[in-house]
Amino acid sequence: MKLLKNIDKKTFIAIGVLLVVLSIVPHLAKLSTITLMSRIFILAVYAMSYDILRGYTGFINLGHALFFGSGAYIGGILFTKIDNTMGVFVLAVIITVIYCSLAAYIMGKIVLRGGGVIAAAMITLALGEIARNTAERWRSVTMGADGLPFKIPDIFRDRLGFYYYALIFLIIMTIILRQFILSPTGRVLMAIRENEQRATFLGYNTSKYKLIGLQVAGITSGLSGVMFGILNRFANTDLLSVQQTLNALLITLVGGTGTLYGAIVGSAFVNTVQNYLLDLRSVHPIFERWLLFFGAMYVVVVLFMPEGFVGLWNKYLKDRRTKKNSRVFEKGL
Amino acid sequence: MDIFVTLLINGLAEGALIFLMASGLSIILGLMGVVNFTHGTLFLWGGYIFVWIFTFTNSFILGVLGAIIIVFALGAFFEKFFVSRVYGNVPAQILITLGLQVIFTDLVRLFWGATPITVARPSYLAGTWTIGGVTIVQYRIFLIVVGLLIALGIHKLLSKTKIGMVIRAGVQRPDMVQALGINIKLYFTLVFAAGAALAGLGGALYAPLVGSISSTAGLHNQVLAFIVVVIGGMGSFIGSAAGSLFLGLMGAAVAWYAPSLAVVANVTLMALVLAFKPDGLFGLAVKK
Amino acid sequence: MNPLLKVEDLVSYIGLYTILQGVSVEINQGEAVALLGRNGAGKTTLLKTIMGLVDTRSGLIKLDGESLVGKPTYGIAKLGIGYVPEDYGVFDQLTVEENIKIAMWKEDKPTLEKRDYVLDLFPDLKMAYKRLAKTLSGGQRQMLSISRALVNENKIILIDEPSKGLAPVIIERLAQALKEISKTTTILLVEQNFALACAVAERYYMIDEGKTVDDGTIEELKQNTELQRKHLGVI
Repeated sequence: MKLLKNIDKKTFIAIGVLLVVLSIVPHLAKLSTITLMSRIFILAVYAMSYDILRGYTGFINLGHALFFGSGAYIGGILFTKIDNTMGVFVLAVIITVIYCSLAAYIMGKIVLRGGGVIAAAMITLALGEIARNTAERWRSVTMGADGLPFKIPDIFRDRLGFYYYALIFLIIMTIILRQFILSPTGRVLMAIRENEQRATFLGYNTSKYKLIGLQVAGITSGLSGVMFGILNRFANTDLLSVQQTLNALLITLVGGTGTLYGAIVGSAFVNTVQNYLLDLRSVHPIFERWLLFFGAMYVVVVLFMPEGFVGLWNKYLKDRRTKKNSRVFEKGL
Repeated sequence: MDIFVTLLINGLAEGALIFLMASGLSIILGLMGVVNFTHGTLFLWGGYIFVWIFTFTNSFILGVLGAIIIVFALGAFFEKFFVSRVYGNVPAQILITLGLQVIFTDLVRLFWGATPITVARPSYLAGTWTIGGVTIVQYRIFLIVVGLLIALGIHKLLSKTKIGMVIRAGVQRPDMVQALGINIKLYFTLVFAAGAALAGLGGALYAPLVGSISSTAGLHNQVLAFIVVVIGGMGSFIGSAAGSLFLGLMGAAVAWYAPSLAVVANVTLMALVLAFKPDGLFGLAVKK
Repeated sequence: MNPLLKVEDLVSYIGLYTILQGVSVEINQGEAVALLGRNGAGKTTLLKTIMGLVDTRSGLIKLDGESLVGKPTYGIAKLGIGYVPEDYGVFDQLTVEENIKIAMWKEDKPTLEKRDYVLDLFPDLKMAYKRLAKTLSGGQRQMLSISRALVNENKIILIDEPSKGLAPVIIERLAQALKEISKTTTILLVEQNFALACAVAERYYMIDEGKTVDDGTIEELKQNTELQRKHLGVI
């Protein structure tokens, strides 16, 4: 019950209803919708991993796709080279966790030295590009730019079944990340976000905590990459590209940074819009260029909606509450 | 010995190209505290506009000039309408320039297609000289000369002109520059656009060197420029010049002696520099 | 006669804090006026608000009848206000010469004559003319900063605590120079050093907790030790 400690009754009911709806919907929906929703769930986890970094530590990592892509490749390579069984899946998960925490450690050691958001953004972009480049050239293992198609364990083959796995994955990861944010370490990260200098004065080794944050984000991202690979039964270098990192950034921006749940809202919005626009390709070829819309959405959000949907919603709630309070106050007079 | 000379020329030419991007990036960063993530796109636009004009008119010079002018205008547009709205907000600056990068890179694909376009060197720069058994590619010498001239030009501009004074003063105290009656925003736009024009020139000169231009070239070169800026020290002009040379020479050497390491070499270098000198070799403290 | 600089009921904020909450000051052509008051009373913020470096919430600021509120800092400076900030605002990476040159709007004869006048006023700067400003001492930086405010035909110059952190000998020299300057230029001077304020200014305004609480001639204040103790904590 400790998990539910901080959730009030109303929210609890809302989440319950949402879960019931989400378990019934796939039985009524088209296959394409089921796939889209699985995609939304997995990318929500990926975006949450980004939110841990950007929203809770304020650090803009432009090489974040490195973890995501690596997860997809680790799964793909193991399924291809060993066997497509559940045992190998578990192995892939374990290796992804180890690999991503190591990679995050190295990345952190390089980035957190220079200090500053600017330097970090530039350096992580370079690191991410290097990873993508390496994957492209290491043809014997990754099949280079052609991409790596692979077979997946039978249990994941059914789209409907996989929908539930993806949903469970999202639920578990949300709970774990929420616990992380509420943990003492998470609190320190938030303190760093509010005022790094003060956290330093209080005696916290801020680099160490940021490194932990980066590792948690890296591992989460890697695991969502494994799931994304299984969903597509395919991995390619795009999954390691800056574009993939920007996907996470856009999702968290649209949803609202520093909220975790914003990532879920953002993922639903961005993926649905993308799906819709790509469906319009038959109407006009301009819709082939999804990135144009992607970029435009991005710029608009940064300029006009820096708080995202969740931010707007919170503001609405707050306004309503203060209005209510002031009304009570007036009555009192 | 022969190979040494060839590598030296290759490295210097490569360095000159990187310098065209890195210098603008570094000055913009120093003056305005903005990391310009559109730099790769501006480079790309320079390349494509050059190829476009060059194929039409068959004039190399017109192509280069056209690239410089149009990319200058594009830079001014970016600054005026987007970047200037988010000065002082570092994350928003990074995000907005990234967004523009995505849009304008995709526009390149929309206008010119996603497949690489081939382009030849102009006839008067296409040849080679053979001196004492060493084959020297004329175009590379041309790049070195251009890089050198631009470096000297920027140096003169920074040290001798009023614009240079304002830039050097603005890096330290933009508020005080204003309080002396100087409209620094005008300089911001100018410097941003000039940095863009340098990137555009880089793109225009890059295309004939490689023999083709494709939409992925922008990001690749931007990453090199970022590494240079990090190594050289953010906001330092000298640092960007030295860093470019170093990266160019190292790139040439690694490509010859250990091509498989080409990818990791740059990053290893960057990591080493950061490990020993977190502010870069010519570290200049950048605000924030 | 209309005042040269008129500030009325000025309110301004920095972030969430109200710093000025109703300041009114009038300075006539040719005067030297001192702004007195304790640390944190809002004197520096008043100068910054006049310069447009801090936003005005309400109230008015007029120079020669023209409103400065909402104008960009460079535009305000161009209307004829020279600003010498508390920390001098000297550009370290520029030479002394360049520091002065960057402040010159024109290079015509009157401006060049002004420059020569300033260099005669501060011989230190003449000697260090080609050196980088980062090599200068605190007093020399102060002189350089004042010089920059003087090279243009400014109607008024705002000087923020020129004595801060300087040795008494230097302060004395500075007081002489400021006195000399005040013969030809209108000055608004923020100062905690009462002796310096007395040497330069004729009138004063007392600011406390973001409001003007008192004003009068420096002569009156010199006589009234009670008032000095109350507002300045001196003596």
